[in-house]
Amino acid sequence: MNKDNLHELLSVTNLTDSAYILRMSRRGLKFKTGQHILLGKAGSIHNREYSIYSGENEDFIEVLVKEVEDGLVSKQLKKSKPGEQMQIEGPLGFFIIESDLVQTSKFLFIATGSGIAPFHSFIKSYPTMDYKVIHGIRYENESYGKQDFEKSRYIACTSGEKKGDFHGRVTDYIKQNPVSTDTHCFLCGNFDMIHEVFDLLELKSIPPDQIHAEVYF
Amino acid sequence: MKYHLISLGCQMNLSDAERVNTVLGQMGFSQTDDENQASILGVIACSVRQKAIDKVYARIAKWNKMKNRKTLITFVSGCILPSDNERFLKLFDLVFPMSDLPQFPEMISQYGIVTPAGLNHQNIDRETLKQSEIKTGPKQSIVQLQTIHVNKPESFKLNPGKNIEHFWDVEPTHTSDFDAFIPIQNGCDKFCTFCAVPYTRGREVSRSSIEIMNELKILIENGYKSITLLGQNVNSYGLDKKGEEITFPDLLRQIGEYGNLAGNEFWVYFTSPHPRDMTDEVIEVISQYKCLAKQIHLPVQSGDDHVLLRMNRKHSMEKYRQIIHTIRRLIPEATIFTDIIVGFTGETAEQFENTRKAMEEFEFNMAYIAQYSVRPGAASSRWEDDVLKETKKNRYHILTEELTKHSIKFNNRLIENTVRVLVRGLDRKDGYLSALTEGKIVVRFKSEDKNLIGNFVDLTIKSATPLSIEGILI
Repeated sequence: MNKDNLHELLSVTNLTDSAYILRMSRRGLKFKTGQHILLGKAGSIHNREYSIYSGENEDFIEVLVKEVEDGLVSKQLKKSKPGEQMQIEGPLGFFIIESDLVQTSKFLFIATGSGIAPFHSFIKSYPTMDYKVIHGIRYENESYGKQDFEKSRYIACTSGEKKGDFHGRVTDYIKQNPVSTDTHCFLCGNFDMIHEVFDLLELKSIPPDQIHAEVYF
Repeated sequence: MKYHLISLGCQMNLSDAERVNTVLGQMGFSQTDDENQASILGVIACSVRQKAIDKVYARIAKWNKMKNRKTLITFVSGCILPSDNERFLKLFDLVFPMSDLPQFPEMISQYGIVTPAGLNHQNIDRETLKQSEIKTGPKQSIVQLQTIHVNKPESFKLNPGKNIEHFWDVEPTHTSDFDAFIPIQNGCDKFCTFCAVPYTRGREVSRSSIEIMNELKILIENGYKSITLLGQNVNSYGLDKKGEEITFPDLLRQIGEYGNLAGNEFWVYFTSPHPRDMTDEVIEVISQYKCLAKQIHLPVQSGDDHVLLRMNRKHSMEKYRQIIHTIRRLIPEATIFTDIIVGFTGETAEQFENTRKAMEEFEFNMAYIAQYSVRPGAASSRWEDDVLKETKKNRYHILTEELTKHSIKFNNRLIENTVRVLVRGLDRKDGYLSALTEGKIVVRFKSEDKNLIGNFVDLTIKSATPLSIEGILI
């Protein structure tokens, strides 16, 4: 076992019955906000990709995990206790913001479910950035990390109940609201949402090179 | 005593097999094509398709039956998913990631079989496994005995690509005396949804450029004419070292400079690049040096942005288009090859039509077209394989037809031109030899002079078909 990749689990915070945040020791792991890691329990041959939830400058590393019904790793991880060792590979991925854009551009973040994780990392890393986040969820209690976003910049789109900021899917919200053509759009979540939103943004004349997507599987 | 080795899958596995041959050869074993004559039976596995994995299971079932009548050691390495690895541990005597190859003699000896290895492993000069001419600094693990966990889950690593550097220290036993692979990078960080390589080979790890250059120079000095740099994402070379290693264009530049000074003529290819890391600089460098072959294999996989998203390819059609334009502008003579998957999960008729249009637009010289099949362990294996087999077949034929329309145009343009080719062997047609152009177009010409095999010759092209040309020796 490669001990360089071992990180101590510091806490497990349950957000709902099936979603939780794992906080682990950072141990100098460098990453760019928006990247993901491969995470598994130390000694296990199984791991999965998870977007990093915490900011670049925090002294711990966090991931937001949604338990998968028939999943192996998400169930294993949920049972983990603080003090246990976790194995991390990475960071990996290209879902990042070019640093020269951070303070000069407008951003639209569109997520479904636990796809909010990289955006949480973005705003933790760059608290002064000009952003709006549209979060597609079924129920209001799935507004993971809502308290960390500026209230006026966070829109919860709930499809399963008439609560949140908008009742309906993120695609309904985008259809009904303007998006200025100089906006950099970041999409993260299931691929059906990403495909639909991709088309909608193109219809709103957003250039394809300003649309960035990270598909969750 | 003999060994029998089966290599399944891609060029990377063939290249890995060349290093396994070295280790087994150093242990006193000779290779046999007849598994009944062998004492060691091994497979270099491929997890790209279920069919390849099924072959491994079929083979080990047969080999385990053979154990009733003779003493055998069986092993498996290569691209193995964690789930298969657990099953293989119960079926094979030895299961190990390729990065542990230098420890293979100890594994055999610990198994307690009386073989040349068992008798003599202490006397094997492990340094002879290394390339003697290459001076890359000490690699402690090569000479340091380690505890080997034979047939235990611990022998499979979470990241099977770790320590691949030690594997690269092993000198390959090349099967050709004019054509060779040089692995320069292992693993993948791209996570395309149709592919399991990130889970079987681990993260991207780049080999030292000093080692690569040394291996290349040795090959060229020994008369090799065609060298292929290998990697799962070959043009991501160096990026994992975060500034402590040169980049892919710099590596190509070094090779190009060496080629300008070397007295020998040779062509250097690379495969497979990923469009995301295919920079203008790579193409510029290829255009500047004679020894860098003017043939580029650039997998597109689909011509539709939505399918590319679902494939998690991390490039758009616009990005791909820009790369092709740059190649056409800087290297107009280049041939372009690609890989395409038809019938990927959810691919609509309209999305497929975009792929056909892409074929039309880019006029590929060759396309390796695959009908999508579920690849175990890949992310897409969780999705329904919802395009009918018949539809996939139909789409495959449409693209094949499209390919031939363009390749014949290119090939016809070569008629009456003089083309330099590397002669590779006897052609299927009696009295002819088979060769490849620099752009990897297959050529045949009338000659029975076997001394030409492995040499460059010039031909005047006289006729063309969609995927090959015919010429006469000048």
